[in-house]
Amino acid sequence: MSQTIAEKILARKSGQARVSPGQIVDAYPDLVMSHTATWRSVSVMKKIGARKLYDPDRLAIVLDHISPAKTEKYAADQQTSRNFAREFGIEKFYDVDAGIAHLVLMEHGHVRPGDLIVGTDSHCTIYGALGALGSGIGYTEVASVWVTGKLWMKVPTTIKLTLEGGFAPGVGAKDLMLHLIGRLGADGCGYKSVEFYGAALRAMSISERMTMANLAMEMGSKCVFIPPDEKTLEWLLSRLKDPASYEPVSADPDAHYEQSIGAELSELAPMVACPHQVENTKPVTEVLGTRIDQAFLGSCANGKYEDLAIAAAILKGRRVDPRVRLIVTPGSKEIMLEAMRSGVLATLMESGALVTNPGCGACAGDGGMMADGEVSLSTANRNFIGRMGSNKSSIYLSSPATLAASALKGVIADPREFYC
Amino acid sequence: MNMVEKILACKSGQNSVAPGDVVVTDIDLMVMHDLSANFVMKVFDNEMEGASIADPSKLVFAFDHNFAPATRESAEALAAVRRFAAKHKIRHLFDCGCGSIHHVIMEAGLVTPGMIVIGCDSHTPIYGALGAFATGVGNNSMAALGFAHSKGWFKVPETLKIHFHGAPMKGVGARDVSQFLVGHLGEDGAIYKALEYAGPYIQSLDVNDRSLFPLQAIDVGGKCGFVNPDEKTVRHVRELLGDSAAGARVDLLQNDPGARYAQVIDIDVSRIEPQVACPPTVGNVKPIDAAVGTPINVAEAGGSTGGRLSDIRTLARCLTNRQVHPQVRLQVVAASRGIYLAALKEGLFEILHTAGANIFPPSAGSNQAFNMGALAEDEVMISTQARNFPGRNGHPKARHFLASALTVAASALTGRITDPRTLEDL
Amino acid sequence: MEDQIKGRVYKFGDNVNSDIIIAGRYLIYIDPAQLAEHAFEMLGDGFPSRLRNFDILVAGRNFGCGSAREQAATAIKGLGIKAVVAVSFARTFYRNAINDALPIVECPALYDVVAEGDEISIDMAKGIVSHGGHEYGFPGIPASVAKILELGGLANYLKSTLEAGKL
Repeated sequence: MSQTIAEKILARKSGQARVSPGQIVDAYPDLVMSHTATWRSVSVMKKIGARKLYDPDRLAIVLDHISPAKTEKYAADQQTSRNFAREFGIEKFYDVDAGIAHLVLMEHGHVRPGDLIVGTDSHCTIYGALGALGSGIGYTEVASVWVTGKLWMKVPTTIKLTLEGGFAPGVGAKDLMLHLIGRLGADGCGYKSVEFYGAALRAMSISERMTMANLAMEMGSKCVFIPPDEKTLEWLLSRLKDPASYEPVSADPDAHYEQSIGAELSELAPMVACPHQVENTKPVTEVLGTRIDQAFLGSCANGKYEDLAIAAAILKGRRVDPRVRLIVTPGSKEIMLEAMRSGVLATLMESGALVTNPGCGACAGDGGMMADGEVSLSTANRNFIGRMGSNKSSIYLSSPATLAASALKGVIADPREFYC
Repeated sequence: MNMVEKILACKSGQNSVAPGDVVVTDIDLMVMHDLSANFVMKVFDNEMEGASIADPSKLVFAFDHNFAPATRESAEALAAVRRFAAKHKIRHLFDCGCGSIHHVIMEAGLVTPGMIVIGCDSHTPIYGALGAFATGVGNNSMAALGFAHSKGWFKVPETLKIHFHGAPMKGVGARDVSQFLVGHLGEDGAIYKALEYAGPYIQSLDVNDRSLFPLQAIDVGGKCGFVNPDEKTVRHVRELLGDSAAGARVDLLQNDPGARYAQVIDIDVSRIEPQVACPPTVGNVKPIDAAVGTPINVAEAGGSTGGRLSDIRTLARCLTNRQVHPQVRLQVVAASRGIYLAALKEGLFEILHTAGANIFPPSAGSNQAFNMGALAEDEVMISTQARNFPGRNGHPKARHFLASALTVAASALTGRITDPRTLEDL
Repeated sequence: MEDQIKGRVYKFGDNVNSDIIIAGRYLIYIDPAQLAEHAFEMLGDGFPSRLRNFDILVAGRNFGCGSAREQAATAIKGLGIKAVVAVSFARTFYRNAINDALPIVECPALYDVVAEGDEISIDMAKGIVSHGGHEYGFPGIPASVAKILELGGLANYLKSTLEAGKL
């Protein structure tokens, strides 16, 4: 007894009754994902002379960061990934048209509560929105998991984060996370697991929980959990091949937490992360009027249907400021289809936005690059220097609502005026 | 005189001109996409210090190769053009995501019959479909004569008239006929000449389909191409600009009964099969049989030649309740925002998306692979693009075939280059 | 892996992130030399060439935070850097450094006393950093994990395990 969620999952996946923080275990992930980086893991596998995979069924490959190829090298690397998937019979292979890996894998029912998932992307923490333990690793280590089926993991301590109250109109999950990252710092949860609780959590949609689990990475979290409830199970029911196949994991009532932190949602204002660190957060009121050249709506943080719909509601019947280039990148094929059907896509185009094909898009520098002196507002999860082009350009991060309001005004603006 | 000679005479203030004459004319419109705008701007700034733009309202910049710059260098180039446009008060700037330059400009109603339009893009002759004299010029001429004086000089070309008659067989469209002509004449078949596309077949086409012909004038070395404006042209322009536009000029532009041609060629459209331009060049046009069965990796309907609403409707019709072949990545690129919205509202994108296609923003698509369209060495693409030269789309050994939207759709279904006539319920 | 790592120090502050170390556009490379040409490029003039005069990086908190990109470690190795000593590391950088056989040392005590250009010496086996006549201890990497570092990185470790038929 008295185990946290991370302890329980790591115990299970390393075949032990119980584990303690600080202990190193050999864990067997249920899923190992890789994205556009897959070719690198393929080259490692070649280099070490391995010809067999531990279990092809545990591999997932989604070509999302550069979609589609715009140079010969990217095209060749993508062919390497495709050929690998074909040669080894990887069923969970998704090509450059699928969308962002994390969203695609969750939509297709490859992420189950209680799973251990590792991958070539730090935002694997997002799987915690469905109660899975997700953590990022490098491409050599992914190749190692492909071949051996396992990796060493140090059992983390856990922080308990309790949310009370409810968001004011115009304020949402992204603002909450930016607030927490600013409060706790970029390494505030370094090496730790974070478990979210509180009455406020129950009111949050799956999309909001995904935003939370995604952004948790930016305070250094090793993994994060939003314990599954009825909403989670309902979301999963239509997507899992075998709904009975998973065992959700919850913390024991007497689990030991290193720290307990609280947040009162009703006190929160729309937040912005200022250049060039995510922890450099401020309430939007302190940066109102900052000129922007570009606005990006998308990424695994805020490229979901609900995010597009929030922005569309503000943009409907209005025109983006002519000085602003608004780029919208739906997070997946499924999201884009829903946006087509509901009219959200038309609304975004009519407001003057440029809607791209699904993928990671401008977040990771795939399009939307900036020149010297330019400023971008983005709903992504990182604003590090030079990430979107020139090292003399700047990125501010915000919620979809703040983004839409700002795209209309041509400067960073407070979304709450659209919520009266 | 024919239409081109009449326009050149009028715009150079003369009563008449004949092939071989060199004339200096006013220019009505100067068009550049994101790449050429950057080049011309550099000539203007670096080599013409102190010069000013005679009439900024005649310049049009349309960013189409980049819909979202993929490199810092591209971003800097676009930023530089925006600054230039602001400094010189160039109003007509269509930024990223507007569409494919020529469709954007035509839809904006900026071209009317009788105009002289120059561009740095070799496909500028497309405006001949609207009864304009339109041709490509170099960066230096554009900067030195165009920007600074709103003028151009031209040697009056001889005209080659192509008379198209007959009804096309099922599965054959304007794109096939236009490509057939390129194969028939050869890449040097009409050097420095104007091409007039005439005859009952041309008259039967709408302006959109007519435009495919002058678009390819460059592929046979032509200086420009045109269709003598008629009722359809007038109606098309009026729809864009309102009743006041265009009507009067058309009378003055009709070919004189005795207009002379260097050559008149007759083409029986009913004998033309679906065509494909095989690598390595646009002139390597063959009947589709020559390429049928070639496995493909990418199929694209986009660019000035395949992103029109009619093309998207064609694709949707072929792909309703069907799936794109699993080995194929089908890319759909609308030629303008208006077309994108119409395709959305007509439910065409939903059909294509559900079938497995990937919908891209309005732009030039894979043209020169700025944002998309780079292939690996062993990959094959079939598209409606205008050029297939080695190295334009990634690896120089990658193979790029050019065809109609219908052929692209058929191929996307089977995974191999496919004769559209073999499609069920065409 | 060397027992004694010696050299001149270049000092960074806190939160040196993955994008600063190697920008996303260079992830098309995995070769250390190619990556090294663009390491820390985002910091502007003089980078990365000025780093080639130093042997050991010393950094503040959370070094290597951000992306899980392994090439952050590879790029630093490609520069000829022999070790990184930080107040703390981001966990993904920590793992990637071990996997790339780049020695990393968590030693908060060193940070405040060391300056750019100082000579230091690191004894990985004993867990001691020597600087200016003083010694600072640091926790060793867990034995099971240190093996990877000792064998020249994860790829080499796997290769020898495979060859020995132990997989």
